[in-house]
Amino acid sequence: MGYHNAIYVGVVLMSWIENRFEEGLMMTSVDWALNWARSSSVWPMTFGLACCAIEMMAVGASRFDIDRFGAGAFRATPRQSDLMIVAGTVTYKMASRLKRLYNQMPDPKYVMAMGACTIGGGPYFKHGYHVVKGVDLVVPVDIYIPGCPPRPEALLEGLMRLQDKIRHESRAIDRVAESNQQQLANV
Amino acid sequence: MANTIAPNNPAENSAPRQADVRTEEMLVNMGPQHPSTHGVLRVVLRTDGEMVLESVPHIGYLHRCAEKIGENVAPYQYVPYTDRMDYLAGMNNNQAFALAVEKLTGLEVPERAKYIRVMFSELNRIASHLVAIGTYGLDMGAFTPFLYCFREREMLLDLFESACGARLTYSYITIGGVTDDLPENFVDVCSEFLDYFEPKIDDYNNLLSYNHIFVKRTGNVGVVSAEDAIRFGLSGPVLRGSGVKFDLRKAKPYEIYDRFDFDVPVGLPGGTAEIPRGVVVGDCWSRYYVRVKEMVESVKIIRQCLRDIPDADEKEGVCNKKCKTVKLPDDEVYMEIENPRGQLGFYVKGDGSAIPARVKARGPSFCNLCVLEYAGKNCLLADIPAIIGSMDVVMGEVDR
Amino acid sequence: MTQFSVPWKQSPPLEHRGPARGVVALARFVYSAAAPIVSRFPGLILTSAIVFSTLAVWIHWELFSYLETIAASDLNGTAKSIWGQSLTVGEIGAYLQSNSVAAGGVLKYLLWPLQMELFRDIVGLAAIFQLFNLIPVYAIWWERKVAGRIQSRMGPMRVGGWHGWAQSFADGVKLVAKEDLVPAQADGMLFKIAPYLAFVPSLLAFLCFPLGSYWVFRNVDVALIFIIAMVGIEVVGVIVAGWASNNKWSVYGAMREACQMVSYEIPMTTVLLVPIMTAGTLNMVQIGDAQSGGWFTWNAFHNPFTFIAFITYYIASLANCKRAPFDLPESESELVAGFHTEYSGFRWSLFFFAEYAAMFVVSGLAVTLFLGAWHTPLPSTWAFEETSLFKILLNGILFSSPFWFIFKCFIFIYIQLWIRWTLPRIRIDQVLYSCVQVMFPIACVALVGHAVWMVLLDGSMFSTLIRWVLGLIFAAVTFGFLSVAAFGYRNGRRMVGYLAVKQLPGS
Repeated sequence: MGYHNAIYVGVVLMSWIENRFEEGLMMTSVDWALNWARSSSVWPMTFGLACCAIEMMAVGASRFDIDRFGAGAFRATPRQSDLMIVAGTVTYKMASRLKRLYNQMPDPKYVMAMGACTIGGGPYFKHGYHVVKGVDLVVPVDIYIPGCPPRPEALLEGLMRLQDKIRHESRAIDRVAESNQQQLANV
Repeated sequence: MANTIAPNNPAENSAPRQADVRTEEMLVNMGPQHPSTHGVLRVVLRTDGEMVLESVPHIGYLHRCAEKIGENVAPYQYVPYTDRMDYLAGMNNNQAFALAVEKLTGLEVPERAKYIRVMFSELNRIASHLVAIGTYGLDMGAFTPFLYCFREREMLLDLFESACGARLTYSYITIGGVTDDLPENFVDVCSEFLDYFEPKIDDYNNLLSYNHIFVKRTGNVGVVSAEDAIRFGLSGPVLRGSGVKFDLRKAKPYEIYDRFDFDVPVGLPGGTAEIPRGVVVGDCWSRYYVRVKEMVESVKIIRQCLRDIPDADEKEGVCNKKCKTVKLPDDEVYMEIENPRGQLGFYVKGDGSAIPARVKARGPSFCNLCVLEYAGKNCLLADIPAIIGSMDVVMGEVDR
Repeated sequence: MTQFSVPWKQSPPLEHRGPARGVVALARFVYSAAAPIVSRFPGLILTSAIVFSTLAVWIHWELFSYLETIAASDLNGTAKSIWGQSLTVGEIGAYLQSNSVAAGGVLKYLLWPLQMELFRDIVGLAAIFQLFNLIPVYAIWWERKVAGRIQSRMGPMRVGGWHGWAQSFADGVKLVAKEDLVPAQADGMLFKIAPYLAFVPSLLAFLCFPLGSYWVFRNVDVALIFIIAMVGIEVVGVIVAGWASNNKWSVYGAMREACQMVSYEIPMTTVLLVPIMTAGTLNMVQIGDAQSGGWFTWNAFHNPFTFIAFITYYIASLANCKRAPFDLPESESELVAGFHTEYSGFRWSLFFFAEYAAMFVVSGLAVTLFLGAWHTPLPSTWAFEETSLFKILLNGILFSSPFWFIFKCFIFIYIQLWIRWTLPRIRIDQVLYSCVQVMFPIACVALVGHAVWMVLLDGSMFSTLIRWVLGLIFAAVTFGFLSVAAFGYRNGRRMVGYLAVKQLPGS
């Protein structure tokens, strides 16, 4: 994409102000600013499937208030959201729709697997013939939040971990290509 | 070419209209990911502009094989799965299954446990109705009542957490009683909460129920008459909103509900009592308002429970000791209770071993959802979320 | 960090090198210097930013008129036109020298470019564009905070430090850096143009919006019609966006939007005829000037019909801006996201900005036409004599200035936010019913009644009495609101739920 090409050129040109951390993680001031903006304004998509959706609603409610973190603008359409919180059991019938919605989200996008069902099938692991044993079989997942359902505080910690993860991003490493390769390997 | 749309709506929202412009019908797909549907419900609408001619719900997106699992685990292991069916009313689901197995096996429940069960079922009814009311306001575009309802709900969840440690999926009411006794000052804290909560219901009425815009959006919309409601097998507030005074807690009292004094609210015609004009018996507003009034009744029941609950007995405890080792006789039982959504029934068939041969759940939302096709004819597109919201459908129960 | 979680690889604090180091150090210094003030007076930040940006225009205008005096009188006292011939640096320098102006040597070079109207326009446009961007940025943050407070929670709290004031900036940067997404089946050209069709008219409306008697970019004689026309062009952007998205839900949103916005322009424009009748002109500056002299001269209190017109205009403008309770075109629970379902990133942020800019424009119209524009409610006879620069400044702050205009506009924006987070949504057929069968007759009644009043009763004792009555009603409503707000502020903790403070057993 043109955007990424421009960034590559920019990185090369600005290489003389790059900082070098361990293991080749190079982060520029531009990276820092972009990461700050992206982590401060993570907009989730309303993707509540089952019981965890109620806890996600509780996180958006007054006591736990995810809007404090800047993540309170729940967008209904995947086109305008950054984060897909998969809250609830993913079934085979729903999995194809999930993948389609994930594909509709623009980059950079993140997925949070909330609840035991999305991590590895949850209580339906053994006898659930219609349950996908973990949403990472369908979409690449960034954060796993265990619990059945996880407490709202756990979801908030997951969000903060995601913000940490975003802050470590760098334009020099192409996450999109990485995740594309991961997706191809999954299929 | 003139299109004549005959009135197929028993509520007679629309007269037959002649369109002299040829319009095309659109097939629009609502869901399964949709902020309005309560969960993963897909509704395919055949629309002519804003007018919905036919609405067909598609379900199965949350089928979690609950009934198959019932054939593989013992009853006390199955209780957590009943929680997740109707996740908003976990206590009631647990109670239904526990009652079914107790009826099948003849297990005795301690007296204190019975009071605790009723109390928590009613507390969960309040919590479930708060979500129903809040999300219904959200569907209609009123964002604030949702947050006020959740604020009160958080206090309820604090109560639940103090008793059983979980906020949403409790698995507290189990075969033969409850898993653990109440904390020491639970009665005081619970009474305080009820004193705080009762005036809040007036707040909700002022903010949402009697709001002119809300009444216009939900009044005379999706009308289901009493005969049709019985014909479709509806239950719960959906049935009572159509004027049929039928509540399992009064009609076929289970547990100790016959010891309590409470009323069963029904939908009333507009202009009478406190019902605003523009409301018809069996429309969305009546169904919604029945839920509001049911919260008041639940508060009454809980207060009576708190007053009459027997003290803790060290010897008896709160759970029958045989709950984990009970064997199911070669018999079948069907037990129904009143869920916040309607009549929830469990059919359990034993075959002599510890594991049931068949467990079937009759989900009230599944039966209530059938009426969408009937009520969602010849209404406007904006009425579909109103109708679905007033049914208070929980997809975990529909798909099981 | 709990003992059960795997600790992240924590990176050491970022060390900036090169030019970035200086920039970051400067930014940190400025922030630490400004933070104590910034945190206490958010309104001051916005107001001062606006005042400074328009001050730039004003200084420029003063210098420009100073230049005209130079041109008008040369050393011999004969008049000289500036338009036929341009002044040279030498001539300017000679004039300054003859009048013993300090720093004349430098000033003559600064004054020379001001001859060009292009230069003046560029500075003015820069100020307008800055205003146009700053207002939605502030309004978005404010909306989230107000919504939070109404819903008994805090809004953004973390981004940037104090009460998340940098939230809008983070949102903006994030949206700009999103992937550029155009759906495959969408009509590419129309899809890309639509946000600009919605965004640019709002910007254009700012061009002839007066913030003060001289604080206007172009004092057009038909300014009011121009602004209404610009607000109307936004409909096209929305319809094109809905159509080009190739999404049935977007089409629904676009069609509802078309219905609603176009229908509500009828009562809105009809009711705007009322202040036009009072002032007798479409020129916004003249309409504003006619309302100098305190609340008594304001159009809203002229007679009961203008009062009705004011309220009708406000409600119709809510519908025109697609704000709740008329926010059907972007209603979440029914249409996913309405006409901008398929838009992402920067394109969507243009729609977002356009909405808040339009909110400001219609509030500004309400203030200019009905509530005295940039004048204070205090009678203008109380104003100071303009003997010194300090007195002029004091007059500006207390009696007549852009500060008052912005302040009043933001009161109306606050009321719009307030209504949005309180009332449910109205269905489209009810929207159109209320437009055609309720608002339009009221607008006609207001128009005819006002005309009759102007002919028969204007200037009589009765009309003065009515003005006082209306003013008292308005003051009572304002006072009532303020006292309720004060009561809520003082008892805030108690009203939220005292049980939340108590500890439950086991917690």
